[in-house]
Amino acid sequence: MVNNEQRQHAEHIFLSFRKSKSPFAVCKHILETSKVDYVLFQAATAIMEAVVREWILLEKSSIESLRTFLLTYVLQRPNLQKYVREQILLAVAVIVKRGSLDKSIDCKSIFHEVSQLISSGNPTVQTLACSILTALLSEFSSSSKTSNIGLSMEFHGNCKRIFQEGDLRQIFMLTVEVLQEFSRRENLNAQMSSVFQRYLALANQVLSWNFLPPNLGRHYIAMFESSQNVMLKPTELWRETLLDIRVMELFFTVHRKIREDTDMAQDSLQCLAQLASLHGPVFPDEGSQVDYLAHFIEGLLNTVNGIEIEDSEAMGISSVFSNLITVFPRNVLTAIPNELFSSFVNCLTHLTCSFGRSAALEEVLDKDDMVYMEAYDKLLESWLTLVQDDKHFHKGFFTQHAVQVFNSYIQCHLAAPDGTRNLTANGVASREEEEISELQEDDRDQFSDQLASVGMLGRIAAEHCIPLLTSLLEDRVTRLHGQLQRHQQQLLASPGSGSIDNKVLDDLYEDIHWLILVTGYLLANDTQGETPLIPPEVMEYSIKHSTEVDINTTLQILGSPGEKASSIPGYNRTDSVIRLLSAILRVSEVESRAIRADLTHLLSPQMGKDIVWFLKRWAKTYLLVDEKLYDQISLPFNTAFGADTEGSQWIVGYLLEKVISNLAVWSSEQDLANDTVQLLVTLVERRERANLVIQCENWWNLAKQFARRSPPLHFLSSSVQRTLMKALVLGGFAHMDTDTKQQYWTEVLQPLQQRFLNVINQENFQQICQEEEVKQEITATLEALCGIAEATQIDNVAILFNFLMDFLTNCIGLMEVYKNTPETVNLIIEVFVEVAHKQICYLGESKAMNLYEACLTLLQVYSKNNLGRQRIDVTAEEDQYQDLLLIMELLTNLLSKEFIDFSDTDEVFRGHEPGQAANRSVSAADVVLYGVNLVLPLMSQDLLKFPSLCNQYYKLITFICEIFPEKIPQLPEDLFKSLMYSLELGMSSMSSEVCQLCLEALTPLAEQCAKAQETDSSLFLATRHFLKMVFDMLVLQKHNTEMTTAAGEAFYTLVCLHQAEYSELVETLLSSQQDPVIYQRLADAFNKLTASSTPPSLDRKQKMAFLKSLEEFMANVGGLLCVK
Amino acid sequence: MADDLDFETGDAGASATFPMQCSALRKNGFVVLKGRPCKIVEMSTSKTGKHGHAKVHLVGIDIFTGKKYEDICPSTHNMDVPNIKRNGLPGKGRCPRLTKIWGAPVSFAEPLPRGGVCWAWLRGPPLALQLIGIQDGYLSLLQDSGDVREDLRLPEGDLGKEIEQKYDCGEEILITVLSAMTEEAAVAIKAMAK
Repeated sequence: MVNNEQRQHAEHIFLSFRKSKSPFAVCKHILETSKVDYVLFQAATAIMEAVVREWILLEKSSIESLRTFLLTYVLQRPNLQKYVREQILLAVAVIVKRGSLDKSIDCKSIFHEVSQLISSGNPTVQTLACSILTALLSEFSSSSKTSNIGLSMEFHGNCKRIFQEGDLRQIFMLTVEVLQEFSRRENLNAQMSSVFQRYLALANQVLSWNFLPPNLGRHYIAMFESSQNVMLKPTELWRETLLDIRVMELFFTVHRKIREDTDMAQDSLQCLAQLASLHGPVFPDEGSQVDYLAHFIEGLLNTVNGIEIEDSEAMGISSVFSNLITVFPRNVLTAIPNELFSSFVNCLTHLTCSFGRSAALEEVLDKDDMVYMEAYDKLLESWLTLVQDDKHFHKGFFTQHAVQVFNSYIQCHLAAPDGTRNLTANGVASREEEEISELQEDDRDQFSDQLASVGMLGRIAAEHCIPLLTSLLEDRVTRLHGQLQRHQQQLLASPGSGSIDNKVLDDLYEDIHWLILVTGYLLANDTQGETPLIPPEVMEYSIKHSTEVDINTTLQILGSPGEKASSIPGYNRTDSVIRLLSAILRVSEVESRAIRADLTHLLSPQMGKDIVWFLKRWAKTYLLVDEKLYDQISLPFNTAFGADTEGSQWIVGYLLEKVISNLAVWSSEQDLANDTVQLLVTLVERRERANLVIQCENWWNLAKQFARRSPPLHFLSSSVQRTLMKALVLGGFAHMDTDTKQQYWTEVLQPLQQRFLNVINQENFQQICQEEEVKQEITATLEALCGIAEATQIDNVAILFNFLMDFLTNCIGLMEVYKNTPETVNLIIEVFVEVAHKQICYLGESKAMNLYEACLTLLQVYSKNNLGRQRIDVTAEEDQYQDLLLIMELLTNLLSKEFIDFSDTDEVFRGHEPGQAANRSVSAADVVLYGVNLVLPLMSQDLLKFPSLCNQYYKLITFICEIFPEKIPQLPEDLFKSLMYSLELGMSSMSSEVCQLCLEALTPLAEQCAKAQETDSSLFLATRHFLKMVFDMLVLQKHNTEMTTAAGEAFYTLVCLHQAEYSELVETLLSSQQDPVIYQRLADAFNKLTASSTPPSLDRKQKMAFLKSLEEFMANVGGLLCVK
Repeated sequence: MADDLDFETGDAGASATFPMQCSALRKNGFVVLKGRPCKIVEMSTSKTGKHGHAKVHLVGIDIFTGKKYEDICPSTHNMDVPNIKRNGLPGKGRCPRLTKIWGAPVSFAEPLPRGGVCWAWLRGPPLALQLIGIQDGYLSLLQDSGDVREDLRLPEGDLGKEIEQKYDCGEEILITVLSAMTEEAAVAIKAMAK
């Protein structure tokens, strides 16, 4: 047995062998004589690394002969282990690539050799040829597959550009020839078909080539390379090759031939998908694009129509469709023959429905690999793209298709007999009730893309889909009502008889769940940050039928959710959209009645969530429609939920009642409570709606109840309570007369203050502060304060800030009282974080000052109480970590004042503030630096192991250095030292992200030194040390090439500052070189590096010149010094 | 359960535990799991079937022993929450007005914010107990009243060693004492402010 030590020793031998100088003769000898595969592999690696390292020193002819040697070596040994062969070919590819930019050496002959290998007809040799091409392709692709040869991105980019214009095309043509040859043969033996497969994969690799556009800056190359899902966008030179119809036909033929082979089919379909994404300068004009598309669609339909699709084909086929629809402009799509286009859309419809059914089946069978689901997603997404821009198609063109896709979606999601949910070939699958964890996403999020597409299709076919949803929902409501009644009677007849079969109920809940989700997505859009608008299709649909509609009956349907819709006379002459809404209100009403009848345990919290989710979405878009936003508005909408209507007042009251009932009944269902309170926020966040809300008696009751902190509201989780407080505060800014407003604040905010003061001003507060009742009171107050801060808007910040400020000063006292109660301390800091986060940007100078001071005192108390403290319990470290993370966040929030500031010298506070003392001038930087000073001693290297804390910390100090470099030299000595130490630590032993941040911090520091011109300051001395660090990092250590820019900038500034020291560093490095050739190369490189910027000065132009030379420098000698 | 026992350090009338609905518990808060007072370190919910009702899964760490306990219960249920006290006897309230906090000028200290906040706490007696001796594995702690407590064990492990070492070096240290249900233990130390 080999022990660990021996293994390490062996590894060390190989590693140092690979770094040895000019190992070529030795390696050749090893390759020719050794029988050990691993040793062969290492020899090949050593050659590859040495060639790149010593490229400039080597004779061109010896490089050429080395390449020939390696290729011949592989050809002569067909039985080499695969990994050895691949490694040798990789060395060949690297040599070709390194040589491609070197005019003095010609590596072109390799293609000649390869094509000879291919024409040999010998499968083994052909496989080898394929391997050579694949190695070249990966090497030149300049993606992550490229070997790390220590050259700049620019070098890789240039190689790639040259390659994609010539050699790549040659490889493609060679590949096409091979595929043509194979596709003509009738019977392929196993060996042949394996060769076939390799060339098909190669073709796929060529067609998936990420063509680098000319003139892309080096920064963008990395970004560009990392993009997934590459579309085929070749240069003009590829025109003749790719627009040749025979090429496209070849790939259809190939696919038809091998479609039953799972592995090969994936490659062939991927090739087709890439061809379907062809775009860019390769097309000379629109006509050629139309021709190409028409041919392609013909080929596609011939391949897909009339066959039974294999599981493994689903994803590929949907990619082909998706690419065609995404890439080809609408005018090109409509320019192909009408009949062809219709067949295309019919085929798409057919496939969508069929994949949808298969996807549902996959779900029932709980398959791990959901190929149909993925394919279905992709097709639905394509529909969205296709129908969104409908100017090019005549109105109603897609309606019938939309109806089909919509119907099939609904059908798959409903239980039998209307639908096929959980239906397999053997009947209904009885699914075990599985445990669902909170981490499992809700369907509305997990399937949001599908639902958005289906909702869109539903709008296009509104005439069909809206009435369909209405009748399905009304039917389910009636059944749910009946079922619950039966349960109730059963319970009354035999109380406690327990086991009730919930199968029927669960089926109804699941039906209603999906119907509500689809309705939500059909009637309204997801909006973030923009004003939600009623979808134009829905508006048109309502307007179109408004003449046949009886408004009064419509209002009656809406206003009587407790009655069956069909029991209302004239129910068929109502507005369909309002009737759909009222169907959901009927679901909600059944839920509410079941609660009143004490049947809560039978209800589904999921359905409860769906209901409030829908109502929130609906209210955002429809409630109090703003006429100004629409060209035309539907009369029924305007009458039922327009401004100043009885309808809107009624519905606001109804929604409020729902919210209050939910908060009382469902406090134990956190998600449902959360959705409920979000609905409440929606109701009050816009002034117009809030005006109606505050007219409800219930609203005032809610406010009073919450202020009393009595059950059931105090059962709610803390996050729900916070949001509830936020809503109550927002509501306070509705329009009311002064007295009412006064009364409102007396009901909502003052009790909070009063209770708080009552508690803390008790004579014996210190004795009782740890009593649970007291602690709960304090905690509830702190939570409420966070909620109040969250409600901050520009028009209420003045009032809220003054209100909160009173508390903040008291909170500092609490820090002292609860210094041994980590959970309370944490919450107190959070209050400060929230206030700073939400309000600092609006505060004028004197208010900001107040906040700075409060934060500062908070930090002082914290630091006093936590320095030199040790705790026994296992959570101590995590508590401290959370505290410090919050403090860093607080400091960063305060610092943000320096770059995001909406304050207009206290304009929002004008009139609130009589005579202020404006003579103090503390900047955010002062506070933040002071804060850093306080917390720095609490930071330990252990704590920096928490990645989020570490990143937040370094972000903060980099911010400080960038924004206030002039403050750094003035820092107290200890603080200055720990800051410098932090930077050093960050550069040497943290993640590359942190290292980058530290390098970014160095530049402004060095510039500051240069400006100050003090050569004896401690910052000046520190920067000298950093010069050495950065010098070593750039010249001696292998470092991340992404960091070159940040390191280079810092390096240049430091060089400017310490020219003598820099010369010394270079001298020392040079004098340690024994090899005269290397010495000369290095000396030349260093001379060239600074040639463009002598003497160095902080001039932008010079700096850019230096950075450019640095890249060359890195490419030339970067690898050289790593040899050591 | 010894709910009705009255301990010398406890307050008469305050019970050892009180009930709270599961949903109102919070991470970092406290709960009784398997009869032990625990700090909640993990709290998650799950349900049986898509239309089922929520159940809460709690993971807690015994505040005295550091052992881990778990429990799962319907989220409508009430759980016992232990009454946690730190430092057996707190100091008496005094209320001198404050102009400076630890040497740093505090500009907002005068005039006091409205409502007359009791800044006294900031100056009040230390909330931790001062260590004045170690005897036979027991700590001697000086209480505010001037009385000495000698019934508290020197904790085991690193903290105990640290206390002993600091005491031997003549450092003045403060001890934080935690009590819950029927137990008490020293859980933290801090150097006394000079």
